[in-house]
Amino acid sequence: MRKAASVILTLCIIAILLVPVSELPEFGSENSPAHNYVSKTYLEEAMHETGAMNIITGIILDYRAFDTFIEATVMFAGAMVVLLLLRKEGEDNEQHYS
Amino acid sequence: MSSTILSVVSSVVIPFIQLFGVYVIINGHISPGGGFAGGTIIGASLILYRMVSGSDAARNRYPYSRLIKITCFSLLSYGLIKGYSFINGGLDLHMYDLPIGTPGNIFSGRYLLPLNIFVGAIVASVMYFFYSLFSEGEI
Repeated sequence: MRKAASVILTLCIIAILLVPVSELPEFGSENSPAHNYVSKTYLEEAMHETGAMNIITGIILDYRAFDTFIEATVMFAGAMVVLLLLRKEGEDNEQHYS
Repeated sequence: MSSTILSVVSSVVIPFIQLFGVYVIINGHISPGGGFAGGTIIGASLILYRMVSGSDAARNRYPYSRLIKITCFSLLSYGLIKGYSFINGGLDLHMYDLPIGTPGNIFSGRYLLPLNIFVGAIVASVMYFFYSLFSEGEI
């Protein structure tokens, strides 16, 4: 039951992630926004739209903040998995931690 | 490692490393740097303290429960603050928004400063976790 539910959930996530991929512009096409006005707009507008002198911070923490959020979440999930796998279990250890 | 030279030198150097890391995080939206770079510097200082003073002293000074609380709180607050900002701006709700300020001041740029601090806290404690787990198997 749990196995079937997780398979269905994974297939749903794959489908949700693949639908936007089919809408992406073709690789190297001259009409895609990324090749036309996005970088120019970032360079010109970033400072007075986000208030950051450092445009990189303005982009990663304002325009693309959810990307950075998922990056931090990936680091956190990695730490949790390493904790789960490598931490030594024991009675005297548990008293130190909690 | 219990060497007098190491412990004296590291007790002088570690505050400066942490101060530099805090500087890089706080000035992330003004000068080069930011949460990831500053968090790495602070994490390096925590690792240095653990290497020099041993795991027992490090466990007393930086307890696991406090670090994991800081990490979870930072991650949740990042999601809440930036989610609020995206909903507020994207749907044109015109709810309360932080003022944008003058570019170049510390308190400017809406949510950039708190977001940088949260990212720095996550990166610093996760680096320290990774070092202590891979070298000794415990935190």
